[in-house]
Parts: sequence; C-alpha cells; structure tokens
Amino acid sequence: MKEIFKPFENIGRNSRLLIIASWVIAVLAFWFISSMGERHLFPSPAQVLRGFTELYNEGLVVHIGSSLWLCLVAIVIAVTISLILSYLSTIPVITPIANALSKLRYLPLTGITFYLAIIISDARTMQVWVLVVFMSTYLTTSLLSMVSAIAQEEFDHARSLQCNRWEVLWEVVVKGRIDHVIEVIRQNLAIVWMMLVTVESILVAAGGLGFLIKNSDKFMNHGRIIALQIVILVVGLSIDFILNYLRKTFFRYSKI
Amino acid sequence: MGYSMQNTLLYVENLSVAYGEKTVIKDINFVEKDVIRKDNVTGQVVAVVGRSGRGKSTLFRALTGLIKPTTGKILIADTSTDAENDAKEVEEGDIGFVDQKYTLFRNKTVYQSLMFALRLKENMTKEQKHEKIMTYLSEWGLEKVKDQYPCELSGGQRQRTAIIEQIFCSGHYMVLDEPFSGLDVGNIEDVKNAFSLITSMHEFNTIIYSTHDIELAVELADSIYVIGYPTIDGKHAEYGTIVKHIDMKELNLAWKDFGMDHIEVVKQIKAVMMQS
Ligand SMILES: Nc1ncnc2c1ncn2[C@@H]1O[C@H](COP(=O)(O)OP(=O)(O)O)[C@@H](O)[C@H]1O
Ligand SMILES: [Mg+2]
Repeated sequence: MKEIFKPFENIGRNSRLLIIASWVIAVLAFWFISSMGERHLFPSPAQVLRGFTELYNEGLVVHIGSSLWLCLVAIVIAVTISLILSYLSTIPVITPIANALSKLRYLPLTGITFYLAIIISDARTMQVWVLVVFMSTYLTTSLLSMVSAIAQEEFDHARSLQCNRWEVLWEVVVKGRIDHVIEVIRQNLAIVWMMLVTVESILVAAGGLGFLIKNSDKFMNHGRIIALQIVILVVGLSIDFILNYLRKTFFRYSKI
Repeated sequence: MGYSMQNTLLYVENLSVAYGEKTVIKDINFVEKDVIRKDNVTGQVVAVVGRSGRGKSTLFRALTGLIKPTTGKILIADTSTDAENDAKEVEEGDIGFVDQKYTLFRNKTVYQSLMFALRLKENMTKEQKHEKIMTYLSEWGLEKVKDQYPCELSGGQRQRTAIIEQIFCSGHYMVLDEPFSGLDVGNIEDVKNAFSLITSMHEFNTIIYSTHDIELAVELADSIYVIGYPTIDGKHAEYGTIVKHIDMKELNLAWKDFGMDHIEVVKQIKAVMMQS
C-alpha cells in the first residue's frame, strides 16, 4: 500500500486500474455532493442529462457532423499547404517562405478575420479559411521541425544509393515520414479543435458545436453547457484516438 | 607471396576538409593500386586507424563524395570506359558507404530496401532481381527477417543489409565506417567473411574501413593508414592527416594468418597513435 505513494515506483496493472477507478469515483462523488445544495457552481448530473436530451432533440448529431466536416475540410487544405511548404523548405530559395509562415502563428486571430472578411462574404467559407490560415502556421512549425530532425546519415544513405537530390527528398522526407505527418496532425488537433469551436461561435453559420454553445450561453442553461463541453471533449479525444490507431496500424515501423 | 601492382584505383591529392573555419583534415595524399596475385582474384583492403575525432569519418565522407573537399582532389578508376587507367573525380553514389550507425530506410523492409538498391539495374528483370535478393538473403542469414523493418532488426542484421545494399548499388568501392564496433564475436566473423567475399568477387573491388581494433586492421588489411594530429616544429597541429602508412604487402604480411610479426606491427601503430 505504501508503494503507491513512492516516486518512480513500478506498480502492477491491477493496482493501476484500482487507482484510476478510485479517482473517477472521487470526481463523481464530488460532483454529486457539490451540486446538491441550493446554490452551486456546477449543474447536477440530472440537469446535465436533461441538457443532453435537449441537445439531442435539437439535432446534436447533425451539429457534430457539421463541425467534423468543417474540421476535415480545413485540415485537408491546411495540411496540403503546410506539407508542400515544409517539403520544399529543403530548397534554399523556399526556406525563408516556410520559416515566415511558421512565424505568423504569433498573429492574433482578429487581424486575420478582418482581412478575410473583406475577401469572403459567406460565413461557412470564412470559417474554413480562418481555420486554414491559423492551422497552417502551427502545422508548418511542427512539420519544419520534423524535417530538420532527420539525421544527416539518412540523407547520406540515400545519396550513397545513387538517389539524386529530388529522390532523396521523396524517399527520405516524403515517403519516410508519412507516419510523422499523422502524428503532427494529431499533436496539433487539440488546438485546432478548440479553435474550431471558437471560430464557429464567433462567425456564426448554420450549425456546428460552436453554434450550439453560443445558443446555450444566451439561455444561461448550465446543464446544456456542461453537456456540450463533454460532447466536444469526447469527440476531440475520439479523433485523437483514431489518428493514433491509424498510424500504429498502417505504419508498423512507426515507433514515435 | 608474389604480387604486382597495376591500374591506379584511388588517387587522393592534397585533400583537406574544413567545417567553416575549422580545418578537420589536411594534406592528405595517398594512392591505392590494383593488386594482382597469380591464380587469385585479389581485391584491396585498406584500413584507416586513428584516435577519436582525428577525422576518419570526415575523410570517408569526402572519399564517398558526400562532402565537397575544401581543397584537393579524389580520383577513382573510371570503369565505365574501356580505356585503361581512365580516371574520374568521385561523385556521390560512386562509392558505397556504410556509416557507423548502419543507417537504412526506416520505412522499407529488408527485401524492399534491397529491391530499391537494384532499381537502376535496367538489364535485370523483376524475377532476376528477386532471385538475386533471395540468394544474398540466404547466404547472409537474413532470410527470416526479410519482411522486417530496420527498427525490428539487430545491429548485425542492419549492418549486413546495409552492406548488401551497397554491393548491389555501387561500383567496385566500398567504404565502411567502424564496421566492427558494437558487434559480438559472431557478427565480427560475419563481417570478415563479407570482406573476403567482396574482395574475391572482382579484381578492382576495394574495401576501405576504419576501426579502433588495431588487431583487426593488421589482420585484414593489406594497406594501413594512421590518421592523427601531426607534430610540426615540435608542436601538435590541430588537424588530422596521415601520420603513417604501413604497406602490409611490402612487409610480406598481407593475406597471412595473424602471427608474431603482425603483433609487432600492432605495437608500432599503437605507438604512433599515442603520439598523434
Ligand atoms: N558537421 C560537422 N561540423 C563541424 N565539425 C565537425 C562536423 N563533423 C565532424 N566535425 C569535427 O571534425 C572532427 C573529426 O570528426 P570525425 O571525422 O567524426 O572524427 P573520427 O571519425 O576520427 O572520430 C571532430 O573534431 C568533429 O568535432
Ligand atoms: Mg568516426
């Protein structure tokens, strides 16, 4: 028993599960007890459950689908841009452009939306492009460090097998690091997912989880807000899980 | 044991390499010629020894065309023409290189790597390539791991794959940076066998390797270069150069079992290394 309080101690599988279970129970118990009185910060589990049903009846599934679709479209565009730039960053003339894009991640969102609003009128398209601009900067940063982390030996190995420079780029950087790209997307997904909901609630279009949050805000419906938070968290974690699963299944050599 | 020297295979003149301001190796000059022995296909085995940081790896990267020399030139025999003694400047890919870490493509299995190494052989059909790969895999004890990725191989298996890749892809020259480090006795024997296999395949085949095991240099090589910091006017210079060359053929020690005379040479080399 004393072991579980000792730093760096290895414990068995059962003990680990037991610890996790106790924590979950503790959190649930805290929730029940703290939401029992008249005035409380958190809504009671019953309220949250009601929130769920309300949301479900309002078409929660469709809204989730809408957010996921937005996420997918934005990711595909952003990844394409960032990948092309990062791969080409190995060419001296392109290097500054890729570095510059990566630096732009310090730009605030408002400035970007202002200029995009001038060009784009449709709210949905606007959402996509705000996300794309935003994500490309983060993705490019991660992808650039992925490229620069490749050891010189790997390039030399390809060169010694008579690969010309373009083949080296193709074999070592492009084909040799696909699993890393998936990992980079996964690592950045948390920011994207958070941004996505925010963007959806600022630039209100027809639907999406952000739209639902905005609505719940108005009515001060606590149960609904927490229910929605849980949904957003779970959907985000599921995408995370799926990406990790894809990487491990399709790329056996991928030990990151 | 009679031998004679013919075509020049490797000619290095006034070679120096600097990283930025720092000169790592300088004034490197040497020539290796094709060694001919009667009734025997004899490739060349050249060892480079020297203490850590003296520039062995740097010399190898220059020899294989992976870095441009700051000064000097490196010529190799141009075997693509029929003319005798035709030379060309070395370019990347001309000389096979197996680095210290036995780097491979992380996303290719052993079989896929070897297929890739054969990609430029246009006169071979797919079936012939497959046959060739399978022959090598069984000869080199890699059959069982043919569908495994580098991260699933042992050090020895990675190294053997890397060597076969280079046999498939490069011409007559192969450079190996510290091929004996980190291997167990069995693997060391494998590498020795690989050496004799390579040198018995063609007269021109030339192996250049570095090692910290002086005994292995003396046992296997017919020409040994010691790289170290030279002493000029009583002062140690801070760049590597050839401080001693031992021609084992001249000493009549090449292609012989390790004996008392070899031990003498080992002692000599160690003494030179301590001074440089
Ligand atoms: N890419 C590099 N940039 C700067 N210095 C280097 C580089 N590679 C090697 N060196 C320096 O060159 C010297 C020789 O290194 P190396 O050729 O690896 O020696 P060895 O193989 O004999 O141990 C070392 O002092 C090392 O720090
Ligand atoms: Mg070295």
